[in-house]
Amino acid sequence: MIVSIADNIISPLGMTSEENYEAVKAGRSALHRYEDLWNLPEAFTASLMDRETVEDAFAALPVEKEYTFFEKIVLLSASRAIKRAGIDPSSERVLFILSTTKGNVFLLDKRETGFPQERVLLGVAARQMTDYFHNPNAPIVVSNACISGVCAQIEAIRNLQSGHYDYVVVAGADMQSAFIVSGFQSFKALSPESCKPFDAQRCGLNLGEAAATVVLARRDTVTENDWVLCRGAIRNDANHISGPSRTGEGSYRALKVALGSMNPDRIAFINAHGTATLYNDEMESIAIERAGLAQVSVNAMKGYYGHTMGAAGVLESILSMCAIDDHNILATKGFDTLGVSHPLLLSNQNQTTEKKAFIKLLSGFGGCNAALLFAKGVEL
Amino acid sequence: MIQHFVHITPEFAFVDGKALNHNEKGAALLTELYRAHIGDYPKFFKMDTLSKLGFVASELLLQAEGELRFEPREDRAVVLFNRSASLQADTNFQATIQDPENFFPSPAAFVYTLANIVTGEIAIRNKYYGETSFIVLERQQPQVMAQQALAAFLDPMTESLISGWLDCEDENHFEAAIFLLKKGQYDNAETVSKEITKIFNIKY
Amino acid sequence: MNFKSLNHTTMEELIYRLKQEIIEALNLEDMKPEDIDENAPLFGEGLGLDSIDALELIVLMEKNYGIKLQDPSKGKEIFKSVTVMAEYIQKNRTK
Repeated sequence: MIVSIADNIISPLGMTSEENYEAVKAGRSALHRYEDLWNLPEAFTASLMDRETVEDAFAALPVEKEYTFFEKIVLLSASRAIKRAGIDPSSERVLFILSTTKGNVFLLDKRETGFPQERVLLGVAARQMTDYFHNPNAPIVVSNACISGVCAQIEAIRNLQSGHYDYVVVAGADMQSAFIVSGFQSFKALSPESCKPFDAQRCGLNLGEAAATVVLARRDTVTENDWVLCRGAIRNDANHISGPSRTGEGSYRALKVALGSMNPDRIAFINAHGTATLYNDEMESIAIERAGLAQVSVNAMKGYYGHTMGAAGVLESILSMCAIDDHNILATKGFDTLGVSHPLLLSNQNQTTEKKAFIKLLSGFGGCNAALLFAKGVEL
Repeated sequence: MIQHFVHITPEFAFVDGKALNHNEKGAALLTELYRAHIGDYPKFFKMDTLSKLGFVASELLLQAEGELRFEPREDRAVVLFNRSASLQADTNFQATIQDPENFFPSPAAFVYTLANIVTGEIAIRNKYYGETSFIVLERQQPQVMAQQALAAFLDPMTESLISGWLDCEDENHFEAAIFLLKKGQYDNAETVSKEITKIFNIKY
Repeated sequence: MNFKSLNHTTMEELIYRLKQEIIEALNLEDMKPEDIDENAPLFGEGLGLDSIDALELIVLMEKNYGIKLQDPSKGKEIFKSVTVMAEYIQKNRTK
């Protein structure tokens, strides 16, 4: 069985998983409107890290070279999770997997001269992480659009199942920049205000930045407090490279595999992608219904963090584990009235639950979709 | 054990070890191969170079396989590797936002600024509902690629796999070294790694 | 400044130029302006353009003609055909 033995979240809402969970439980959001940031002509609402807070925390780490902001949040998050896990990151039995969509892409701006251009390469950026921890294995970067965070966890599960490694450190991160914001603005995909997942008034997503890490291990037996990553799948819509499938093809198939023959009654909630674009949320409602899961509670975190891209799959999984540990289904911030064609059980209030399993669901550009089933104390 | 493989660079194109005739080089070679061997997919001309490369290479690979095409299936995975991610597309998009006096971010350029888009293009063309994924490494490492690619067979539905190296720095620097692998055709990652190294003549 | 008085483009000239710009912006390889029927629908039938093409046409209008379209859903009406698009541009251009 594959279990999560430690985790960390570095985000505008806190520097530990606990801090982040408490903030989200209390309904706090880091979404903020930015005008004239990065010389962008159009204002946007996003969840961005406070640079100073990160620099202060980073100053506590023993470093010998310069790191980009992206690399700093990765190192911060990974080092804290590794410390909690109590593992030796320099061991060849430890594998590092980085999940990111754009890494150090800000370095492509000709005005950025602080770092060598090769740091734009994701493998080189990941090398900063493995070198820092003196890990001898080749850095692996999963770059599968917005599903990278779940995809990376699935890759980790497989690497552990194969017996090649004893631990896998999965770090997911992305930082925002003019490159990413202007790109989404050209898609007219951004909401001018805080996003409203699954809501009838939803009009687009907010971008966010964060770093989140889980340390996964292989176990023969589990205790009632262990979090087991049971089963996951990645499936493609085979429809359009940027528009979601009208039949939720890939999402539905991924959900079906993650569910397996398990009784849906055991699932506390599906933590959806819920980006609050018109098409994504509608597509997910179709997929969830097709998979026979319309009776399962659904929630989404983009109203607290925005879309943290490469970090999302890891960050949102960690929060979901914290929630179930707390017998809680986190509220979907920004949700008020159902605005999708299939009736899903969403709420803007926290709700109690005694159930011990959840599914993390994501979709991304390129038509990819991923679903991962987590269960506490048991393999389902 | 690897029966079908395609190797394309700006200078040459090989399918199952046999050279294809061509007059052009670089990105023009891809267009020439498209017109000569495919020709029925105008969306090809909207793609960035990485997607054109992956599209042409996978078309040639699947034509070599010679099985029924375009039937929806969920049992085939597409897992590709490179080191440049979507660098050429990134550079193209950056050019549309670099100058504040001429700031016009292009959605058609932005959509390709993710390496996995090419796996989406392959899935759309072939109606593959199975797993699609993209992994970025520091450099071409057959051992790592073999290990991570074979891991795809741990998904119980996956029976075959299109995998390999698909890298594009710009219109004159790219390489496709992709292959088709069926479940149960291999012993372990070591064997697959040796085979990849042999058929694609990978130098360290 | 009255752009219309400075700019002596006839509708015919504008339609031809627009066809060239569309072909270039949307990578419609193998097409020449003569191949595009200015009254045929751009989306659905006709050229079969998709949502990304529509967004790219919005950029084209701003870049080449100084027209800012904030509501993308208006695009469907304006991009009905090359002629409809040209008429809209002639009315609203600031370049």
